[in-house]
Amino acid sequence: MSFLLDAQGIGITFGGLKAVQDLTVQLPAGVLYGLIGPNGAGKTTAFNLITGVYTPQTGSVKLAGQTINGLRPHQIAKAGLSRTFQNIRLFGELSVLENVMLGSHVRGTHRLLATLLRTPGFVAQEEAMKRRAMELLAIFDLARMADEQAKNLPYGDQRRLEICRALATEPKVLLLDEPAAGMNPSEKKSLSNTIREIRDRFGLAVLLIEHDMGLVMEICEQITVLDHGQVISVGTPKQVQADPKVIEAYLGVEGSGEPSGEVSHA
Amino acid sequence: MKTLAQHISEISPARAFRPVAVFVPWVVCVLLALAVHFVSPLLVNEYWESVLQRMGVFIVAAVSLNIVNGFTGQFSMGHAGFMAIGGYIGAGVTYYGSLILHGSVGDPNFAVQGTLLMLAGLVAGACTAAGAGYLVGLPSLRLRGDYLAIVTLGFGEIIRVLLELTPKQVSDAAAVKASPIVSFFGFNGATGFAGTPAYANLFWIWLFVAITCVIAYRMKTSSSGRAFLSIREDEIAARAMGVDLTKYKVRAFVLAAFFGGVAGALYSHTGVNPSPTDAGFQRSFDIIIMVVLGGLGSVSGSVLAAMILVLMPELLRDLQQYRLVLYALLLIVMMLVRPKGLFGVKEIWDLSRGDRKQPVGKGGTP
Ligand SMILES: Nc1ncnc2c1ncn2[C@@H]1O[C@H](COP(=O)(O)OP(=O)(O)O)[C@@H](O)[C@H]1O
Ligand SMILES: [Mg+2]
Repeated sequence: MSFLLDAQGIGITFGGLKAVQDLTVQLPAGVLYGLIGPNGAGKTTAFNLITGVYTPQTGSVKLAGQTINGLRPHQIAKAGLSRTFQNIRLFGELSVLENVMLGSHVRGTHRLLATLLRTPGFVAQEEAMKRRAMELLAIFDLARMADEQAKNLPYGDQRRLEICRALATEPKVLLLDEPAAGMNPSEKKSLSNTIREIRDRFGLAVLLIEHDMGLVMEICEQITVLDHGQVISVGTPKQVQADPKVIEAYLGVEGSGEPSGEVSHA
Repeated sequence: MKTLAQHISEISPARAFRPVAVFVPWVVCVLLALAVHFVSPLLVNEYWESVLQRMGVFIVAAVSLNIVNGFTGQFSMGHAGFMAIGGYIGAGVTYYGSLILHGSVGDPNFAVQGTLLMLAGLVAGACTAAGAGYLVGLPSLRLRGDYLAIVTLGFGEIIRVLLELTPKQVSDAAAVKASPIVSFFGFNGATGFAGTPAYANLFWIWLFVAITCVIAYRMKTSSSGRAFLSIREDEIAARAMGVDLTKYKVRAFVLAAFFGGVAGALYSHTGVNPSPTDAGFQRSFDIIIMVVLGGLGSVSGSVLAAMILVLMPELLRDLQQYRLVLYALLLIVMMLVRPKGLFGVKEIWDLSRGDRKQPVGKGGTP
């Protein structure tokens, strides 16, 4: 079976700390895949390895058959991988619309002369970017805020705007780093619907880091559990929930036998 | 709740290519330049005309520096270095070109050819400055904040010292013809390069003011401009979204240096002799203040701030001894009242649209 995203045995060590070790994650097309684990388990680091923020010291990453480890982040984005950030990284001073349009940047051509002369091709591309951005914003019900500065949006909207911006890069695989963090239950509910909807609509594979176990167990079809940089369990939500190693890893954090509620994190 | 199709139906239809919007700005550029050129002599005396010339030069300098410091968020402190490169090369082409082609400099019968020489020198100076901008831009990939500021500051100082080391000016046409290339670098050391005819009248200067502003604004409101701004806002997010940091940082430096060179070349054709101190920290700092005061990223802000800061010393001239104090005070008050500069990243015309904070904007619906 060929995978859309195929990370094989990736790892990195920070001055003796094995942040991620021998991690293998394989996403078939259209999957909703969860990456969970207690705080400091190495989930965000795994995203950084896959997206080229850090170069994996071991292993390889393939996206739709193309080797992407060693490429620079913008090249990986172009290859079809996009992400959101655990601590929101929007372009705060830019408008909501401009944030999403920047996502389309990677799919456009940007010749200096065409930009300065505003050639018909340039104008058409700008309009296409704008239209596409508005379509995406509409899906997230953010279209009415298109002209707001991104930094003025409520927290939950900022998180959704980040997903919107990531989608504008037209990714094959979308990596979401704790998209529900800081959201209230009804926002979470609509977020999980949205994640499903965009998966269906755009035919993406989604790799999801999330602390809200309810959300993960509800929408993910496959889950990998990390602890101390190592994979301790892989399987369906049911299998993972029943795995004694997973229960143990979460015990100290949650004080309950089953990882079902939100795990607190600093 | 609305369906997606409903949302999309509300989105404005694709706007066709409108030649008017594309070409009109250039026509306006020329008209503005002509207006300044022919109207201002009716209103003000020669002294104020020279103030208007200097104002134009500094608008070009400030708007171009804004591309690096404002749009892209890379703090360059060496803009005067690029101006000086453009200024010296521009002056050199006109001066030595006149000697070679005509045997003398500043002959009224040679004014048309001289003006063409100025334009050639302007292009040569701007391109050389752009080349230097490329070299200075490269370290910006690795250096952040303070370190980049120091490197660019050093660049300006290096240019200043190099100019001080240049050999004596050659004023003998025969000697220039004998060895044109060696003569060309006769920029007269610390004394400064004298005798360049003042071919840059109000028309030329304000034409380039208008061109620079149109180009900077078109840059800002394009996908390349959003790439610049995204780097300034958050480099990590920008590259994760596919922005090639190397390409865009260098592009910003090259563009800024090019128009910095244009500003310098114009300035050295206004009867002001270029001297090595033009490349130094003082001048760079003057331009930075204009950009910061106008608002990092605001083209119209840079224009207005450059106007104010060129005019202020003139208007305060009557208060002679308090001039510098008032000047400093005004800046401090500005920074306190509007810490993001006059307009922040916005443009003057954005402000009239009122407060954007209203929850339901008109955005998205026609
Ligand atoms: N750039 C870095 N330098 C040193 N240590 C790091 C770096 N990035 C992450 N770490 C460490 O790696 C471990 C995993 O972090 P992270 O991937 O952020 O965990 P989480 O699973 O909560 O997302 C933590 O102990 C963190 O301190
Ligand atoms: Mg994390």
